[in-house]
Amino acid sequence: MSRCWLALIEGRAEGARAFARASTLDGHEVGTLAAWLHKAKPVRSALRVDERLIDPEGGPAWISLVLAPPSVRLPFDDLAVQQARRHVLTRPPLAAVSTLLRDDSHFEGAITVARPDVSIQWLRDDPFARIYPAMLLSVGAGILGSVAAPTGPTIERYGSDNPWPSAIFG
Amino acid sequence: MSAQIAPHHLESAGADAVGLVAVGERLPDFELLDHAGNRRRLSDLVGGDPTVVQFYRGWWCPKEQAFFRRLLALQEDAEVAYSRILSISVDPPQVNAAFRAGLGARWTFLSDPDRELQTQLRLRETTDTLNDPYVPAVVVIDPDLRICAVYNGYWYWGRPTHDELVRDLREISRALRADWEAPTP
Repeated sequence: MSRCWLALIEGRAEGARAFARASTLDGHEVGTLAAWLHKAKPVRSALRVDERLIDPEGGPAWISLVLAPPSVRLPFDDLAVQQARRHVLTRPPLAAVSTLLRDDSHFEGAITVARPDVSIQWLRDDPFARIYPAMLLSVGAGILGSVAAPTGPTIERYGSDNPWPSAIFG
Repeated sequence: MSAQIAPHHLESAGADAVGLVAVGERLPDFELLDHAGNRRRLSDLVGGDPTVVQFYRGWWCPKEQAFFRRLLALQEDAEVAYSRILSISVDPPQVNAAFRAGLGARWTFLSDPDRELQTQLRLRETTDTLNDPYVPAVVVIDPDLRICAVYNGYWYWGRPTHDELVRDLREISRALRADWEAPTP
């Protein structure tokens, strides 16, 4: 079974299904945001993401990319992680959101996508950024689509190896 | 996907029908604006989970304010139980967004300001000619949008209790989840 992987990398995105350049909001390039559909992890830093976010036809976007510091991992069941998911459901929905993970039990980051026509303040106030450090980035067209907001109030993952809010068992 | 609910359960539901919303029938796969102004289709919102669909009068009704406290208690269960909640009124999205935020609700609110769905389902409360709201009703549906329980909330005691909603969601989940019987060695 293929899984969807996401990573911010330097250099070429070999074999990626979609990719685009990423830069800070003041214009400094930080690398390439790339996504792969692979059974195995394509690059060392890759994390699993809700596949619905990846759209090679997607337009430019702002993202809040939250990543766990090296050697830091929190269980998905950690109260802070639970509460962040509740806060996401409480806020007005943005273009897309997905948690990022490597295995079935640890929260290792999140990506929140907004289109440039909304206030960047919504990304600065990313609930997942209260758990791990966040990068606010501008990403070019060609990788990130829009996904309808989760219906709520479910904060769990049906099929525990899936990134929330994916609701598909497996 | 089809969930087969035992007939004895259907007989024990709160009411047989409210308007054209009847046990055993399917809700139409309607589209309405959510509290953020996005057009949402019912089947997308339901996904693969049992769902409580609440038709309510509006933020101004004391009975709705009381009943929402019951749904807020259910929210604590539903958020970990792969079940969903939807609330539908004739209020516009901005009003729904403010009401939802004030309640602390984390589910989707839908707006039917033109009363098209209300008319289609014959759920207009004819005794309130000022607001023309929905007749208060709660339905519990499976992922095929099939109505498994209906509760007529015109009189407050016709509304489902927390335990009745849990019972309905349990019965749908039992039929829906292939792994309901826990795997054992």
